[in-house]
Amino acid sequence: MNFDVKETLKRLCLCCGVSGSEDEACTAAAELLKRYSNDILLDDYGCVSAVIKKPAPGQPLVLLEAHIDEIGMIVTHIEENGFLKVANCGGIDRRLLLAQQVTVHGKEQLKGVISAMPPHLESDEERKKTPEIEKIAVDIGMNKESAQRLIAPGDKITFDTAFRELKNDRVSVKAIDDRGGVTAVLYALEMLKEQEYPCGLSVLFSSQEELGERGAAIGGFRIQPDISLSVDVSFGYTSDAVEYKCGKMGQGAMIGIAPSLNQEIADRLIAVAKEADIPYQLEIMEGETSTDADTIGVTGAGVKTGLVSIPIRYMHTPVETVAIGDIEAVGRLLAEYVLRFEPISERNQKL
Amino acid sequence: MTENLKKLCGLCGISGREQTVADEIERQISPYCSCRRDNLGNLIAQKQGKKRAGHTLMISAHIDEVGMIVTDITSDGMLRFAPVGGIDSRVIIGRSVLVGDGISGVIGTKAMHMQTAEERGTAVKSDQLFIDIGAKDREDAQRFVSRGESVCFDSDFLEFGNGFLKGKAIDDRFGCALLIELIRSELEYDTTFVFSTQEEIGLRGAKAAAYSVNPDFAIVCEATTAADISGVDGEKQVCALGKGAVVGFMDHRTMYDRELYRLAFQTAEECGIPCQTKTMVAGGNDAGVIHTSRGGVRTIAVSIPCRYLHSPSCVIQKEDMNSCLELVRALIPRIQTL
Repeated sequence: MNFDVKETLKRLCLCCGVSGSEDEACTAAAELLKRYSNDILLDDYGCVSAVIKKPAPGQPLVLLEAHIDEIGMIVTHIEENGFLKVANCGGIDRRLLLAQQVTVHGKEQLKGVISAMPPHLESDEERKKTPEIEKIAVDIGMNKESAQRLIAPGDKITFDTAFRELKNDRVSVKAIDDRGGVTAVLYALEMLKEQEYPCGLSVLFSSQEELGERGAAIGGFRIQPDISLSVDVSFGYTSDAVEYKCGKMGQGAMIGIAPSLNQEIADRLIAVAKEADIPYQLEIMEGETSTDADTIGVTGAGVKTGLVSIPIRYMHTPVETVAIGDIEAVGRLLAEYVLRFEPISERNQKL
Repeated sequence: MTENLKKLCGLCGISGREQTVADEIERQISPYCSCRRDNLGNLIAQKQGKKRAGHTLMISAHIDEVGMIVTDITSDGMLRFAPVGGIDSRVIIGRSVLVGDGISGVIGTKAMHMQTAEERGTAVKSDQLFIDIGAKDREDAQRFVSRGESVCFDSDFLEFGNGFLKGKAIDDRFGCALLIELIRSELEYDTTFVFSTQEEIGLRGAKAAAYSVNPDFAIVCEATTAADISGVDGEKQVCALGKGAVVGFMDHRTMYDRELYRLAFQTAEECGIPCQTKTMVAGGNDAGVIHTSRGGVRTIAVSIPCRYLHSPSCVIQKEDMNSCLELVRALIPRIQTL
């Protein structure tokens, strides 16, 4: 198979795609989609969608979906000394912001550092706390005049992190949430290439998930799938977390079970994983899932949704960490689900 | 000097593990001076000038950097660590590091989604953090890492903005780069250069070196905290980037020689070198143990203003590097004629 999961992930994660400014990531994803579709749409709302196979008459349409945006920051103000004041786009772990290296996406890409108060200006009490986002500023090494020429309020900021390889084929970089999901979907498409399967297939890479699953609402409505499988990341266990709420790194796809998800789809995913010998684990949630699946499920007259997640550590940080094997497991599970597709029960009966 | 600073900052050398850095510096300077190492790993270089010196002048910079040391490996293959030198734990979380001989690791915690509101607002202490090298369990981790291994920030060196530089370990590889420039150039008088070890854990290398060199005068080349950042005004900024070499009158470890302090500013003015003082009493450096060595050593420190000192992202301005270099160069003959 001519598909390098690690390289694809690297390429996608290093793109800028802060919620609301997904263009660079979308363009890269659209380029990768060209191998599988000649019907690709980059919409006005920052989503990428593609028709992979039109459903034959009577066949249901299955959607494979992941969000393309990442958390980041947005410039709100340029200070007299040229430092940038910022707000968060999506949930930022503010405990790790100080002295972090960032890229400001202005007219040019500019490097900066999040300024940190030196010890002599903070009391012991202050040092025990983490600053509110309103208190921080980004140092771009410029005075106000230079900054204003290149940067305007509304410009986005990403963490500037290199792609790093850890042991056991684990890697660390920003934006694995959810370019890992995008990579898994692309990997599934590679496996489905030139294969026969009894359903239609479309793909959506949605925008603004981190702000409240907004792209999924728009994309999902336009595509109107019968069944939607969302791929997102979930919590990989570290010893400071509650174990039963986490997946284990390297132990495969996390199949979601939740009141907001279709249980028949979940059961089918489990059956397919067993049949195809794909490593999987269960993720039980008590209501909604905080993923695009929540929103897609209620688009139009409602969509039957499933959720498959990739366990990652350090979510929403510049050092998100994933096992490549888990992305592969998710991709294989999606592909096998489609290849072994079985229609699920229809409850829309006219009495 | 920028290129060499980049090279030196790229090396890993926490306190007590400075050999790689010392080896590189010795390789660079050995054609221009005679070198020796002492029992603490200090690299001491004797440079011949055009004239014999009346006073023994020692110019020093420390080669160690702040970092971490692996203290334990947990059953699930994570590395426990302790900071080496003063590091704010808030600049450790969410970073990449290099363990031992270049093994990549990252430092994080459970996701913010799983934190309570109180946890989100509280700095995580370093003893609650772990380094993740991707190991499956303790046995797997032990194949790559042993307890006591050193850990450095994995942070690239880059130029940004209008002539600014960012990197780890600028404190005090900048001083090292400055000394190397001087050693490579022709000097007026014989001068002793010390690349000292273990500064960050208590000015230890310099204490031994000052004893063995037994100088009359000393110049310490350093990086010092600048707080010319958003939300800080007036004297609390201490010093500012772009305003030249920093010469302080007092810090937490040293009351600097009054005559040398005046000489530094007088020299800067005569030579047109930008120079500033520190507007708060803060910090401390090798001068603390050098000026009290033996019967006392008349000492001054010439430092580059540096934002976010002791973090993976130290920031300096290029022009200030030159100001420091030129000021130290100009001070050598003036001190000899005191």
